[in-house]
Amino acid sequence: MTSFKIDVRESQNVNILDLQGYLDAHTTPELEKAFQTLIEKKQFNILVNCKDLTYISSAGVGVFMAYIEDVREHNGDIKFSNMTSKVYNIFDLLEFPRIYDIAKDESEAIAKFLSLKK
Amino acid sequence: MKGFRTKLKKMLLMGVSMVLLLAGFLLTFIQKSFEGESTWLGLLREIDIVAAFTLFYFFLESLWKREQNPAKKLGFALVVALVVGVASALISFAPSSGFDIKNNGLIPLGFDSVFWANVYGIVMGMTNLLVLMLIRDIIFSKRRKGSRRNFLIFLGLALLNAMWTLTMRPLDSSIITSIVTVLTIAAMLLNSFRLSWIVYLSKREKLFTLVYGFLLFGIFIGFDVITSGTMPIAKAVLFYSPALKSFISSVALFATIYFGMTFISTLFHLPTAEAFDRKISEVSSLHNLSRLVTQVFDFNELVDSVTTMTLDVCEARSAWLEIIRVNAPSAAAKLHAGKHMSGEETIETVALKNISREDVEAIVTADGQSLRELVLDAKKSVVIDEVRKDRRTVHLHGLKNVFNSMVIVPLVSHERVIGILYATKDIEFGFDQDDVEVISAFADQATIAIENSRLIEKSLERERLMKEMLLAQDMQRKLLPQVLPSLKELEIEALSTPAFEVGGDYYDFTMLDEHHLGVLVGDVSGKGVSAAFYMAEMKGIFQSLARIYRSPKEFLSQAHATLAATIDKRSFISLIYAVVDLRTGQTDIARAGHCPLLYVSGTKGIYVKPQGLALGMGSKEFFRETIGEERLHLRTGDVLVLYTDGVTEAHPKDQEEFGFERLLKVVEANGTKSAVGIRDAIIEAIALHMNREAPEDDLTLVVLRWNK
Repeated sequence: MTSFKIDVRESQNVNILDLQGYLDAHTTPELEKAFQTLIEKKQFNILVNCKDLTYISSAGVGVFMAYIEDVREHNGDIKFSNMTSKVYNIFDLLEFPRIYDIAKDESEAIAKFLSLKK
Repeated sequence: MKGFRTKLKKMLLMGVSMVLLLAGFLLTFIQKSFEGESTWLGLLREIDIVAAFTLFYFFLESLWKREQNPAKKLGFALVVALVVGVASALISFAPSSGFDIKNNGLIPLGFDSVFWANVYGIVMGMTNLLVLMLIRDIIFSKRRKGSRRNFLIFLGLALLNAMWTLTMRPLDSSIITSIVTVLTIAAMLLNSFRLSWIVYLSKREKLFTLVYGFLLFGIFIGFDVITSGTMPIAKAVLFYSPALKSFISSVALFATIYFGMTFISTLFHLPTAEAFDRKISEVSSLHNLSRLVTQVFDFNELVDSVTTMTLDVCEARSAWLEIIRVNAPSAAAKLHAGKHMSGEETIETVALKNISREDVEAIVTADGQSLRELVLDAKKSVVIDEVRKDRRTVHLHGLKNVFNSMVIVPLVSHERVIGILYATKDIEFGFDQDDVEVISAFADQATIAIENSRLIEKSLERERLMKEMLLAQDMQRKLLPQVLPSLKELEIEALSTPAFEVGGDYYDFTMLDEHHLGVLVGDVSGKGVSAAFYMAEMKGIFQSLARIYRSPKEFLSQAHATLAATIDKRSFISLIYAVVDLRTGQTDIARAGHCPLLYVSGTKGIYVKPQGLALGMGSKEFFRETIGEERLHLRTGDVLVLYTDGVTEAHPKDQEEFGFERLLKVVEANGTKSAVGIRDAIIEAIALHMNREAPEDDLTLVVLRWNK
């Protein structure tokens, strides 16, 4: 069984999910839980750091799609950063960059959150 | 027929023995008339009587019902003995001429003596035979290794003694008979010591046995007396048949000893009778529960039975059962959860007897450590002997209608507490060590039953899902084209292999009109039955709208808008769609979030990647804005490959993916082959790359070769 892990931390009022490992139909429940917890706590600024994410399946993509509306309605957003080229490719084929901010690194993404606030 | 035969047998036995007894009757009279003694007549009579009684024994045997209850048998024996005893006593008042003793023989002094001799002989003989058979049954009811042997020893000796009398005159005594008598008495004692059947009687039965035993003891002492020495009845029976008298004496003495011992033994067992009854009922409750384990699978029925049985097993006033579930939330259950519950566990009261939910709520929860926590901490039973005084139940001291003692037992399976059983009693110290042990054993059984019931539920659930899966698989297979279009201008080959269960890949063809072919390859996100549904919907949309919206990007925009109504938030469908003009080879291509189309012309290949979101993503306006289209002009021998990410992402465990590069290379290398050849070359390359391992994802390939 391939493994998957999420660490949650905070920086400048942005909640950062560090995804590690393989995200597919088996491991999405973890991601779901993380999102649910954040939303229950009314934390709508969510940055998904994909530095250690090795793979994402359509099920994984579906999780982001499930929460994006709700998050954006509360003036928040789900942004991404630090994707490997392989993972970026998957998102790119789906034309995710048109709908989501995919930043090179964390600081760029956080800057985007802050600029939104203004 | 069989019933008739046994009835006949019974009647025969009865008849013949009666006849023989009658014959004996006559013989005794003849003997008297002879006014003397005739040994051969006497012998004949003896044989006749012995035969009669033997047959009578078999007759009794054939009637015999093996009734189980020893106490009832004693009752029956008592009745018989009483009747006979009273009758004998009454008859003895009737005047009789009696007997004279001469030369150790008996001379009847009148025909009436003879008559009474017959009467006493027959009645006593039959009674004692009956009593002996009753005693035999009682002994054999709780048989042990020596029981049968011991009984036969007694019987043998008694019969030996009886038969020996045939060699003597009625009142003679001999060393042999004395010795045999002593041995017989020893045998009687031997048989009277194992009285374990008494232990297993209920308390009520023991009381009856006590009384019956005592009365029978008394009556048989009477029998012993009246058949001893030179008492009138003794002489009468002796005259009738010395053998029979000897036998009767042996049996009567045996009965006396046996019933006497029964009385004494029962007396000693009485104090423990109640405790014994309780133990038996506990065992039978546990037994019932064991049976429950294997028979009841319905969870609700099971927990209901468990709480009912708890009441029985320890005679509690009320009982209730809580179950700890993982991932089975009801709002109420979540509220209940205390500090020991992990986020996913909930506790719920599933069955109650003689108590209301509000009371349970009040009892179990408290400020500070609730009763539940006591048990969860220790994973062992907790007994509270004095609820009103105990510090752990401080919160209950004030309540009006509270009980006085309670026991709390955890149901532990594989080191995990899966439930808690509570029982209460109105009296203080209501649960002793014994009770706790029994109820713990009971709880263990209940745990097994509950786990069983859960496992079965899960297994049924799994089976159901499996069936659904197979159904969906079947359905899905039918959605894919059963036949590939056969066109002279364009070679078409395809392959689609779902990984396991139900996959998300889809491909389809349709003739927009006689000159235009539409080729669609897609991938529904997710797996399972929902993927199959969207696929079905997509097929429907394709088959109907493609003809109307002839440009690929137009069609995809329409499809996107149509799907937006039904597709759920987290699902999407990626598609690549090509429309080929069969007259000219002009091919229009649009892509919705899917892998780019591979175009190989001659030996050069490129990926065609028009922009476009996947269906299910973005608003329909945004989709329309961002969807692009590209046009190719096919030349003879040109190859188009449409595929899903199962191809490019194929990888053996922990190794590199097949990738776009390799796909390009293999098609370039095999570009001159037919569509079949190219398709097979791709498959082979993937298989090689996979080291012949099975791919994890669905794999779909459509290869087109322009031949015009």
